[in-house]
Amino acid sequence: MSEILVADRLSKHFGGLIAVNKVNFSIMADEVTGIIGPNGSGKTTLFNLISGFFPPTEGRITFFDNEITHIPPYERVIKGIVRTFQLVSVFNSMTVWENLVLSSIRFKEKHVSLRKFFFSSAKDKEIKENCLRALKLVGLQSNAQALTSELSYGSKRMLEIGIALSLNPKLLLLDEPLAGLSDGEISEVIDLLKQIKKNFTLVIIEHKISKIINLVDRLCVMNEGSFICEGNPDDALCNPVVRECYWGKREIS
Amino acid sequence: MHYTIFYGLTIGAILYFISIGLSLTFGTMRVINFAHTITYTIGVYILITFVIFFKWSFPVGAVLAILAIIPIAYVIERFIIRRLYGDSLDYTFIATFAVALIGVDLIKWIWGPAPYPLSDPIGKYLILFDVSLPIYRVLMVISAILLFILLHLFFKMTIVGKIIIAALDDKDGVRCLGINVDKYFSLVFVMGSALAVLGGIFYAPISSIHPYMGLAILLLCFAVVIVGGMGNLKGTFLSAFALGMLMALTARYWPQGAETMVFIAMAVVLIFRPIDI
Ligand SMILES: Nc1ncnc2c1ncn2[C@@H]1O[C@H](COP(=O)(O)OP(=O)(O)O)[C@@H](O)[C@H]1O
Ligand SMILES: [Mg+2]
Repeated sequence: MSEILVADRLSKHFGGLIAVNKVNFSIMADEVTGIIGPNGSGKTTLFNLISGFFPPTEGRITFFDNEITHIPPYERVIKGIVRTFQLVSVFNSMTVWENLVLSSIRFKEKHVSLRKFFFSSAKDKEIKENCLRALKLVGLQSNAQALTSELSYGSKRMLEIGIALSLNPKLLLLDEPLAGLSDGEISEVIDLLKQIKKNFTLVIIEHKISKIINLVDRLCVMNEGSFICEGNPDDALCNPVVRECYWGKREIS
Repeated sequence: MHYTIFYGLTIGAILYFISIGLSLTFGTMRVINFAHTITYTIGVYILITFVIFFKWSFPVGAVLAILAIIPIAYVIERFIIRRLYGDSLDYTFIATFAVALIGVDLIKWIWGPAPYPLSDPIGKYLILFDVSLPIYRVLMVISAILLFILLHLFFKMTIVGKIIIAALDDKDGVRCLGINVDKYFSLVFVMGSALAVLGGIFYAPISSIHPYMGLAILLLCFAVVIVGGMGNLKGTFLSAFALGMLMALTARYWPQGAETMVFIAMAVVLIFRPIDI
């Protein structure tokens, strides 16, 4: 197994606040990595650094042995690093299908080509198949023509993951994909993640560990900007430092 | 009364041309762009340079003015506005207001502070409903409606249009598709500036041309954008004509109050609409 992404002494300071503190970590190909940690421990900030939304205060990031520390977010997507957001990000004023077409227009080419001026020219066969594949995976076929703003939050989350998948990522970062969902929706998303883990390398941030414990191959625990422990999920859970930091005196549910 | 309605349509058309850029810039980039006044004013001064000083024909001057504003707008976006993305709104407001004031001084320095008159380039009248309407103004209203239809088609049918619509919803989401959204912000900005100049060109012969002309109309356009909804293209169109009509009607009965009325309408809208800024 090889490392696809390596973060080296990665830090992010917001004024005096150290949100991410000299983190060293790597992501292995075809693995599912879980990141847990209390609110404010720096999980989302770490994603923002990897996806390029914030420049790091120090440290460097390499992806497939190429340094990407300073390239803009959209170029990282082109290189294969795709993310979702803690608060769902979809295009509400378009239909579900249009959302997927928009994410697929770059499917064949590196950059959006202005030669394909008309949106309808995106009805090209390969693009259509790419959209359809994503649509089926996330189970929104019957909503294809619905306006995205009319979907439930759970369906929007599914669509967001579908959009991410249609970009054919080499590394997919999911920021609390289960947050704000009903129990039924949570099991749908988990089923989807179980299905896609065969084909994609995933990193999942989650607040409630019990939900993802059966999904991840490796668990990292963050606290106050640092990784306090990482390893196979069972070991991480038994680690006394983790127990104290994360659960305090409470028992594991 | 017919004339009042027609007058309202004329004002609505002008407000519409100038407001589109403001609305799109705010909707996509979250920048309150006071510098919009300056691209608008400079465009008009370029027009009169060709028409008054070089004595070229009005349409040629108009096309050249619009072409000339494209690189100017690009430079303003690239080196000033782009640095303001993500900053707080009041900060963008102050910074672009500074640009507007610098622009006003630049205009005084190049063209002088005195106003220039420009005459109606067509000068013929159309008799409709017993009133004679200047053909120039009829053209202006028709152009605004045509522009609305064209923009609607552009945003509905083209990939670039869809990317801009998506950026109005969520610009980080567009970045996450591997699309260089900043490039499209430049495009939106340049397009908005060119349309403002088009508005200025239409407006110049029926108003006076002076260095502060942009500042005066910009406040009205802000009202249009606020009433129509920031980044809402259809809303901008409807609110431009509604407020234009309101101005014309008020002016008929209470000439001094025409502009005040626009801001009263804006305040009323702000009070009754949930804040979504
Ligand atoms: N853009 C920002 N500006 C200032 N502080 C921030 C910003 N983003 C996050 N923070 C701070 O960094 C810390 C880590 O936040 P975050 O990464 O969102 O935590 P988590 O996702 O683990 O809940 C928090 O204290 C948060 O307030
Ligand atoms: Mg978070």
